Amino acid sequence: MPEPIIQIRGVTKIYRVGEETIHALRGVDLNVNAGEMVAIMGASGSGKSTLMNTLGCLDRPTAGSYHLGGREVSNLDAAELAQVRNEEIGFVFQSFELLSRLTALENVELPLLYSRGKGWGWGRQRRQLAKDALARVGLSDRMDHRPSQLSGGQKQRVAIARAILAKPRILMADEPTGNLDSATTEEILALFAQIHNQGQTVLVVTHENDVAAHCQRVVRLRDGLMLSDLSVDADPTIGALSIARRSAAA
Amino acid sequence: MMSPMFYLESVLLALRQIWSNKLRSILTALGIIVGVASTTAVIAALTGLKTKVLSEFETFGAARLYVFPSRPEGVPRNTFPWEKIRLKPNEAIALQEQCTTLKGLTPISEASLSVQSDAETLDGVSVTGIWPAWHATENRQVIVGRPFSQVDINNARQVCLINDLAVRDLKLPSDPIGEHLIIGLRRFLIVGVVETITERMTGFNSISAEVFIPFSMMEKFQERDFFMRIVALAHSPQEAEEASAEMTRVLRKVRGLGSGDLDTFRVQAIDQFIDQFKSIATGITAVAGGIVGISLLVGGIGIMNIMLVSVSERTREIGLRKAVGATPTAILLQFLLEAVTLCLVGGLVGVLIGQTFAFGVSSIPGANLENASVPAWAVALAFIFSAVVGVVFGMFPAIKASRLDPIEALRHE
Repeated sequence: MPEPIIQIRGVTKIYRVGEETIHALRGVDLNVNAGEMVAIMGASGSGKSTLMNTLGCLDRPTAGSYHLGGREVSNLDAAELAQVRNEEIGFVFQSFELLSRLTALENVELPLLYSRGKGWGWGRQRRQLAKDALARVGLSDRMDHRPSQLSGGQKQRVAIARAILAKPRILMADEPTGNLDSATTEEILALFAQIHNQGQTVLVVTHENDVAAHCQRVVRLRDGLMLSDLSVDADPTIGALSIARRSAAA
Repeated sequence: MMSPMFYLESVLLALRQIWSNKLRSILTALGIIVGVASTTAVIAALTGLKTKVLSEFETFGAARLYVFPSRPEGVPRNTFPWEKIRLKPNEAIALQEQCTTLKGLTPISEASLSVQSDAETLDGVSVTGIWPAWHATENRQVIVGRPFSQVDINNARQVCLINDLAVRDLKLPSDPIGEHLIIGLRRFLIVGVVETITERMTGFNSISAEVFIPFSMMEKFQERDFFMRIVALAHSPQEAEEASAEMTRVLRKVRGLGSGDLDTFRVQAIDQFIDQFKSIATGITAVAGGIVGISLLVGGIGIMNIMLVSVSERTREIGLRKAVGATPTAILLQFLLEAVTLCLVGGLVGVLIGQTFAFGVSSIPGANLENASVPAWAVALAFIFSAVVGVVFGMFPAIKASRLDPIEALRHE
């Protein structure tokens, strides 16, 4: 069996807010294999955001180890973590986080501005990569639009294009449909599924069952601890939904 | 290190940022614009003035030497009464006869007298006693008639030269040769007209009526201990120093000064005036530099203020950039480049305004600034200073941006 793409062991995270000490994660173990699509669920305060920040290399665990693609990343400094994020991780956020001054194409290109390792080349080459990414999310005809000229769903497609541009090891989405209506939510989830089917490892942080039902596996957190880690069909609340969805699709 | 592409894109991004916030950018850069513009203009005007003055000195003035009476410093006044230090006509003659380095010299003595023509009487006209060499030392030629001859001088003949303003003011015919003027109760024959020079910066401008009479004649109008000075011309500017030494030697001998005695007169070459002028110009440049320093400081504080606002406004953007892989150094450089770009744009606008000013003053007639132009070093300096201000005052906001935590920044409302 190949080594998991994500392997965390005994990850804890302790914040100090003034006098108070918050134990956001109290020792979490998790493996994610290449090509999986995993939902991370939990109520607010469960530690799911902290887990995602840690997995996304935005933050370092207080204790524990994190192997990303076989490399220990829990002890890297800010600059090294930035490079890991740049090369290994694509982020999709709830509120899209597009830069309003830039066109869709320029927004997609943004990560390449900070890349150094992979040698993405110069202007024309980069532009082509960004165009390819926009084509993958079906927005080739909106390249020169600014975010203000795009609908919510289109904005999220641009954000997804930006996230998959540099061919990251992990695509990480934090409530990606939280700001979208249900029809658009379906479109975006279908897009995630499509990208996943092309072999992309996807992690989705969500509190919505509908969203989790699109994944293969559901990890639930509570009070900073792993509550359950089940295949989607085995999850007591989502299993039925997932099965129904698949049969409807068939 | 960042790729060259990174720097290029950061600068382009900064320009876009400036363009999309035009009004704010202008207001922010105003301190720098004003500072650079005013200094550029002052330096341009000064450069013009300097070029003009120095070129005049060089074309005809550099061989000129002046002799003044001068009381030695640090000695009680009554040790050297006026009678001992004042220049005397016989000293001018001695210098004339004994100085081989001189092309010519003239004693000069002035008085303000009443002058009367057939048609007009003017009070307080400048009457100057001269020798013929005056035309060479002052570079003012006779345009009608003739200069004084040695006979005029030796015999103290009652002849005079006038300038063309005197022709006008005394209502004389346009060719006044042969007319007579009553000067101080004596009747003088006009023998020539001297050109009037108003656009000259060195020497004495003739801006009103002037009358010139033989120096020996002038002595008769003056008190016994009247003031006179001597202007001499060396054969060439290179010999000016040598001439100065020779004149000093001759005068000391005439005055019977021993080797331990102090000079009771002063011989000054034109290059000393040039040095004086240059040091004044340097002083003004230094003051202008001080002004630019202060306004750049003020401008820099404005830049820092607006960059702090910009960092705060764009916290989420910084968070996003960090999330997609911007290192702290990359963020630092981006904000620093933005501050520097803003300052350089301010500097550019300032230089352009300064150039316009320089062009404006250079076309003011009679201001002696037709050579005003912004020297390349001033432009270079303006940009260097602007960039330094950008780096110095952009550093703190840029450090602040680079240290933002990406998670916190993305959560920022």
